[in-house]
Amino acid sequence: MSGAKTGKASLWPMLIRRVGSALLTLLLVSMVIFAIAGLLPGDAAQEALGQSATPEQVAALRHEMGLDQPAPVRYAHWLSGMVRGDAGQSLVAGMPVGAIIAERLPNTLMLAGMTAVLAVPLALVMGITAAIRRGTWIDRAINLASLSMVALPEFLVATVGVLIFSVKLMWLPSIAMVSAEASWSDTLRSCALPILSLTVVVVAQMARMTRAAIADQLDRPYVEMARLKGASLSRVVLGHVLPNCLGPIVNAMALSLSYLMGGAIIVETIFNFPGLASLMVNAVTSRDMPLLQACAMIFCSAYLLLMLVADMVALLANPRLRAQ
Amino acid sequence: MKRSISLLVGALTRAPLATRVAAGFVGFWLVLAVGGPWVAPHPVGAFVDQDVFSGLSARLWLGSDYLGRDVFSRLLYGARYTVFLGLGAALLAACCGTALALWATLSGGAIDEVISRLMDTLISIPSKILALVLVAACGSSLPLLLLICALTYVPGNFRIARALAMNLAALDFVAAARARGERKFAIALHEVLPNMVHPLLADLGLRFVFVVLLLSGLSFLGLGVQPPYADLGSLVRENISGLTEGAPAILAPALAIAVLTVGTNLLIDALKPEDKR
Amino acid sequence: MMDFSRRAMMLGGLSAGLIGMPAMGASLPKRGGSIRVATQSVSTADTLDPAKGALSTDYVRHYMLYSGLTRIGHDLLAHLSLAERLESADRITWHVALRRGVHFHHGGELTSADVVFSLLRHKDPKLGSKMASIAGQFVDVRADGRYGVTIRLSGPNADLPAMLAQSHFLIVRHGADRPDGNGTGPFRLADFKPGIRTVVVRNPDYWVPGRPYLDRIELIAIPDEVSRVNALLAGDVQLVNAVAPHSTRRVEASPTHAIATAPSALYSNLITRMDRLPSGNPDFIAALKHLIDRPLVKRALFRGYATIGNDQPIPPFHPYYNPAIPQTALDLDRAKWHVQRGGLQNVRLPIFCGPAVEGSVDMASVLQEYGARVGLDLAITRVPSDGYWSTHWMRHPLSFGSTNPRPTADLIFSLFYKSDAAWNETGWKNPRFDQLLLAARGETNEANRKAMYGEMQQIVHDRCGSIIPVFISLIDGHDRRLQGLNPLPMGGLMGYQFAEHVWWAA
Repeated sequence: MSGAKTGKASLWPMLIRRVGSALLTLLLVSMVIFAIAGLLPGDAAQEALGQSATPEQVAALRHEMGLDQPAPVRYAHWLSGMVRGDAGQSLVAGMPVGAIIAERLPNTLMLAGMTAVLAVPLALVMGITAAIRRGTWIDRAINLASLSMVALPEFLVATVGVLIFSVKLMWLPSIAMVSAEASWSDTLRSCALPILSLTVVVVAQMARMTRAAIADQLDRPYVEMARLKGASLSRVVLGHVLPNCLGPIVNAMALSLSYLMGGAIIVETIFNFPGLASLMVNAVTSRDMPLLQACAMIFCSAYLLLMLVADMVALLANPRLRAQ
Repeated sequence: MKRSISLLVGALTRAPLATRVAAGFVGFWLVLAVGGPWVAPHPVGAFVDQDVFSGLSARLWLGSDYLGRDVFSRLLYGARYTVFLGLGAALLAACCGTALALWATLSGGAIDEVISRLMDTLISIPSKILALVLVAACGSSLPLLLLICALTYVPGNFRIARALAMNLAALDFVAAARARGERKFAIALHEVLPNMVHPLLADLGLRFVFVVLLLSGLSFLGLGVQPPYADLGSLVRENISGLTEGAPAILAPALAIAVLTVGTNLLIDALKPEDKR
Repeated sequence: MMDFSRRAMMLGGLSAGLIGMPAMGASLPKRGGSIRVATQSVSTADTLDPAKGALSTDYVRHYMLYSGLTRIGHDLLAHLSLAERLESADRITWHVALRRGVHFHHGGELTSADVVFSLLRHKDPKLGSKMASIAGQFVDVRADGRYGVTIRLSGPNADLPAMLAQSHFLIVRHGADRPDGNGTGPFRLADFKPGIRTVVVRNPDYWVPGRPYLDRIELIAIPDEVSRVNALLAGDVQLVNAVAPHSTRRVEASPTHAIATAPSALYSNLITRMDRLPSGNPDFIAALKHLIDRPLVKRALFRGYATIGNDQPIPPFHPYYNPAIPQTALDLDRAKWHVQRGGLQNVRLPIFCGPAVEGSVDMASVLQEYGARVGLDLAITRVPSDGYWSTHWMRHPLSFGSTNPRPTADLIFSLFYKSDAAWNETGWKNPRFDQLLLAARGETNEANRKAMYGEMQQIVHDRCGSIIPVFISLIDGHDRRLQGLNPLPMGGLMGYQFAEHVWWAA
């Protein structure tokens, strides 16, 4: 709240403060990741050499990878590289982490972006309609529909989608084939099922929070006042209520959307989508610390950015917060 | 406790039919979760059928699974894990998240900053990957599963509760309470919390659904309840190859999850005053 | 000695071209076509370096790009490939004569320098070769003129030709410290993205005339089995490996797809540590062996795509299999008797299993179920694939292991059953077994050799705590238009070598 007290004169101090706390969060995340990854059995050298490793091989590879140094030294080394903008060298792939990420980040952003483009308007329409028609059969139908959407495990939704649209009807590819030379329409076609599956996963939470937030405001006196003045309910909702409860709604949306980055692991697995979540799982299993850290940093930054946007919107939309 | 029960009963008797049906479903699952294993016709791991993915029959009410085990018995055992893990984790997450949110909002300043940063840290590590690491490091156990599920949803609840609380804290009546010199705890309990309950209840219902689904997601990644036991999501996962033949082994647990989660949410919706007309 | 010369002659006599016999009912080979193939394993550690190959996708990629000195045929024997002759008088010093006029993709003829480099690099611990321990047998590898190589071993080993057929010993270009796909194989590298895909195109200068048939192959990996089969049935890929037994019905139900299956020596075994208690108690081991309903495992877990095992690693179709060993079967009374004699009532022990070992969770379920009936409380502890091999495998009194087919009986016994082997899973020590193993390597009489391997199987069956319920068959699925696929017991996808043998009949 201290930031909000600066008043509406300028958002800049608030922004600067947010960037500062974002950097702090990133630092915290990297420390947590480093610490819990240290709990994992084995290290990159052992995992790379597999079952057949001889002790000499493990020792040689460990030295090569710099794993024979104590953990704090390795962390400091990674951190100093990161500050200079160098994510380091992948321990197992033998190429810069930046190059591996560059291969997959656009895919993940594309998947998340397309899903958001589909899911956010859908959720808003569902939530607002349900709120305006509160208590009617439309409300119930939307409620039941959104609940049923989340009521099934993600992998089941995706698998049923594949069985119907790929195996039975053969309309859409069963795996996402994303490559540089594929045309936009091909990419879109092969990502249609992953996008639909993810939409089903995230839309319900957003729609329900939208409805709950609006419905919560509908009993307030100002709504009644506006209604008494002759305004229609939909106008009141869109003109007065929505700006007032935009904070929680945008917050819920941002949270759901942040899931699209790191949480897409199951959809990535089922559709063989070359995204960041499966890369991060891979980094865990191969104990590739620099790669793991890079993925964690990206997920964290994406989340922080979404939250920043959400908070800015909330701040701009709610005059009370701004003026305090 | 007594009050809340009477509230529940009161709400139910006045509720429309659909709500009572929903309550019936939820009650049914609670009873199953508690008593299921006693009525299960077969042990959870027994191989009772030569055939796999067999259909409904008088002997095996819901057919057999991918190994020829009794689906009905496994479902009864599975309900226990899903209901109690889901309920436990969702409640734990909601309590922790909301408490932290109130504390952060009303304290403001450094405390708010520290709590918020910690929550950001927790939430920005993808939950399934966190689970993967923790299970690989500590070994799979029920308390760990509960903890992972709760940890995953604390920050989400915190964000929503904090946004709600911040909106409320900016309102006049909280400012008035502050001016009256009431203590933070009292303000939180009497002024802020009651006004957050409805959206938070909706959130709790969805969190329960999410925990159930996270559990099934974890079982997809091989991190779920230890066999031969399985939660409902694991039952769906392990029988997924029966999907094309429409085996009851997969349809029954999938339906069970749907009934359980939809029922829970309808019930929670019904307890909200806004729907009482 | 007589027998050896027969073997040497056979090695020299068979040409590589005869190995890929067309499968029954197939049309004549035909040029052209492009396919996409999906295997089950993928990682950012995907490599172009044969020495580092760790997963099925790696093996397939390496066999597409490189050729080896020898290769394993459908008779499970080694045949010549880049080597034109491979001979030895004493099985210690081996002479290789290279095929002439073979060229690398980037130009340059294959010479002895390339072979010497390719074999010796395994001995560098910094490389991290998967064959480092086996390459330890190479005392000396040196060029003998432009097309000759002499390999001197630390001791006699009749199985060198079979060992050299493994993908790790494929030949790379001299001086290629980090091989980049430049080999003498049937395909040339067009695109390689670790963890995502590999694209290869036909090598028009391949040294086997007329081969390969396909113009282009895209190799991807779909780790999730259900997705892999769906991709096949949806027509997004034309060939997959590791189809689960439960999915075969789906593939066979499709008029445009088929299953290609081969019994193999692949097994998932329950390991009882013999250097601990109670798992080292002979009565405990005997009880467990009688608690396994092998036909149930074969039927329910593998839907018949398995060969019943008898707690020793040599499968019935192996030339050295000993059929005289009586089959152990489910016998609850006998198990109960052992439990009582060993004083093992109410013993509680966790079994460590997980998705890392195929079928292990379900086999553990079977054991737990029957164990409960004779008073053994076996708790299933399922652990994630991640870290399984480094933290759980062989580390607990009861855990599951998984062993891939190896080209020779000697390799499997040496790697997993010899007292001082790094992977002596059960930690057993049997001097008679060790003695037989060493003697068999140098034994020149084939009948004696077979008898020795037979006795080793008997010893493992009787004494060792490696419990092998079944051998798991390899199951590939393919589009019916893809022909020439003739499964090999050494691994899925024709021992990972399908690329140069198959053609597209569309």
